Amino acid sequence: MINGKPNKYLIVGSVMTGIVLLLALISVFWTPYAPTKMSASERFMHPTFTHIFGTDNFGRDIFSRVMKAIGTSFLISVFVVTVSGLAGVLIGAVTGYFGGIVDTVVMRVVDAVNGFPSILLALVMISLLGKGRWNIVIALGIAFTPSFVRIVRGEFIRLRDADYIVRARLMGVNSVRILFLHILPNVFSVFWVSVMIGFNNAILAESGLSYLGIGVQAPDATLGSMLSDAQGYLGTAPWYALAPGLTIVWMVLGAALMGEGISRRNAVR
Amino acid sequence: MIKIDNLTISYDGKRAVSELSLELVPGEITGLVGESGSGKSVTALTVMGLLSREAKIESGRVCFDDEVIFDAEKGKDEKLLRSYRGKMMSMVFQEPMTSLNPTMKVGPQVEEQLLIHAKEKYPDRASRKKSVVEAFESVGLHGAEELYDKYPHQLSGGMRQRVMIAMAVILHPQLIIADEPTTALDVTIQNQIVRLLKEINEREKNCMLFITHDLNLARRICTKVAVMKDGKIVESGATEDIFTSPQTDYARRLIAAVPGRKSEKAASSGADNDTGRKKESILKVEDLSVFYKERSKKGFGRSYKRRVVEGADFEIYEGETLGLVGESGCGKSSLCKAILGINKEISGKIINKTIRPQMIFQDPYSSLNPARTIGWQLEEPLYAMDVIEKDIKTSKEWRREQAVEMLKRVGLDESYYNRKPHQLSGGQRQRVSIAQALMTKPKLIFADEPVSALDVTIQDQVLDLLKSLQEEFGIAYLFISHDINVIYRVSDRIMVMKDGKILESGDKEEVFNHPREDYTRELLAES
Repeated sequence: MINGKPNKYLIVGSVMTGIVLLLALISVFWTPYAPTKMSASERFMHPTFTHIFGTDNFGRDIFSRVMKAIGTSFLISVFVVTVSGLAGVLIGAVTGYFGGIVDTVVMRVVDAVNGFPSILLALVMISLLGKGRWNIVIALGIAFTPSFVRIVRGEFIRLRDADYIVRARLMGVNSVRILFLHILPNVFSVFWVSVMIGFNNAILAESGLSYLGIGVQAPDATLGSMLSDAQGYLGTAPWYALAPGLTIVWMVLGAALMGEGISRRNAVR
Repeated sequence: MIKIDNLTISYDGKRAVSELSLELVPGEITGLVGESGSGKSVTALTVMGLLSREAKIESGRVCFDDEVIFDAEKGKDEKLLRSYRGKMMSMVFQEPMTSLNPTMKVGPQVEEQLLIHAKEKYPDRASRKKSVVEAFESVGLHGAEELYDKYPHQLSGGMRQRVMIAMAVILHPQLIIADEPTTALDVTIQNQIVRLLKEINEREKNCMLFITHDLNLARRICTKVAVMKDGKIVESGATEDIFTSPQTDYARRLIAAVPGRKSEKAASSGADNDTGRKKESILKVEDLSVFYKERSKKGFGRSYKRRVVEGADFEIYEGETLGLVGESGCGKSSLCKAILGINKEISGKIINKTIRPQMIFQDPYSSLNPARTIGWQLEEPLYAMDVIEKDIKTSKEWRREQAVEMLKRVGLDESYYNRKPHQLSGGQRQRVSIAQALMTKPKLIFADEPVSALDVTIQDQVLDLLKSLQEEFGIAYLFISHDINVIYRVSDRIMVMKDGKILESGDKEEVFNHPREDYTRELLAES
């Protein structure tokens, strides 16, 4: 509730993301068809009641593939955001609060990592680590950490001289406690918004990498790889590309709206 | 003559102003006095037509002589109001730093008034500039020519307020509303500004509405005073009448709450009761100088040290209150922070016999952690103590017990334990700060303007609380304030500080009755 009126952003965003999450969850146990089941006779079928999103060039049901793909993308993005978020908080809190030479050195390293476009960085790391979903998590996790560090560090710098923190120090509260129990709760609202944004970017980044073929490997579906496969058939079977494409839009929009809703709710107070 | 008739304004269903009627006479300053939240600023903004969209104006009329410039039934005529603003009526706000455009030089800002309302009279730049410079001089700004090209941040608070006043006066409006124009300024500057307003009122023979929460201040320049409470005018009349024979309880309370040298509350202090027993010194400071590292404006940010406190020498004895009085910027807060170890750039000696002295800050809104419940915050100092003195094992129940007890001790009941700071008022938050500072039963507390941000009636209660806690726990206070009256009321001994140096110090009565320094005399003249 904002000012007594319902928070449209949060509601719509949550619903959208909720639907997606639900589909992903269900896909663990059940999909209308086995995502990898091919059927030569059913190739390139228009979307119908039996195949909601139609079939692809191998006769596989697109809807089932999309369901599984959502789950994969979601999972990877969640992990990426968790890894970079945690790293960001730890590094940002310590460097922001204590400052000094450690801060200077760490920030220069962070700046260096930040200088690379995340996809490029991921490419480099994949070439070192090899393809596959967990390597993507590591690669993107590292690529996303700098922005989290920046944001968290900024907040800690701002808050470390706040009256109530100064008093906490005067009372003898030890630094670790101050960092995580005194300051961190005040950083959450800002942090949460950047997590939402990070999540979105992770979905896009993962899709991008998979599109390029270095992400999740066939026959596993991911939204990016489906897009890549669908490219050649845009003229003849547009639904093949529309399905994953629109799904990506849906997921990103949902998370963006949630983030907006949360920040509006916090701003009011 | 300006009339406000039956004004009623509400926000979200709650009444901010109820059936308010007020008359302003030219050549007189009318005071509108009330505590924060009483509706005074809302009234002023309504006259100017500056009320925000959330405000619902249920009834009311504002008339300038016979012209109705605002009628609740007819709605707001923005065009008419705009033609009036600046030319016929203007406003001086409380915070000059946020009221002046920081990106514009002050000269052009004031000049804007002329551009909008008096283009025919001042068609060219030169004549406008001349008029602005004259306006600056009329409000007591020296070096007006050079001032024209300065930015707000290059001026002191008092100067900025004068610029605001110049802006309000330049078109010789019939009505000037001053909304707490001096609250953000030091005592000595306050008086100058207030005198300036009186001068302007006498010179221009206009109507002036002086809004303040400080009765003393109102008494100084207002011919008539209206006392506001919860949106209603509870009492109004000639200033002296209200002061000598207040009709309502509330007015009586406001007058009684003003700390003054003659009030009985200032009578006995702890020091008198203990004559005979030699008091122990718990803090001794020798030749203390405090520095701030600053980036130099020339060169590539070469840092140099700015000295904010020079050669401070003093002692604090157990159980006493040492008052530290001085204008803002004189170094009092820096002195405290240095002694507490917050600022490490110091030279000189500090001998502190107390463990972990605590500090209470001025701003109740930033003194508490907004993300944590009151109870949790009260227990933190105990938890810290637990970790350090490992032989004491504190339990969750014991900590909670202590927290609740301290809450009660400062006059708040147990229900506050689970609340968060944003649910509390300023006075309540300050009490929580005090409670928090007391949790470890420190022997020394630095109180930096602990009541300056509170309403007068609350100030009273908080000062009483501090006193009783001092007697119960034997705490010594270093009490900082720029308000000489408050200092008189609470202190046993007094130190006067200016520009980083301690000018004078001694027993309260001695300093008050036989001040040695001119500056002290000046400060005392304000009481």
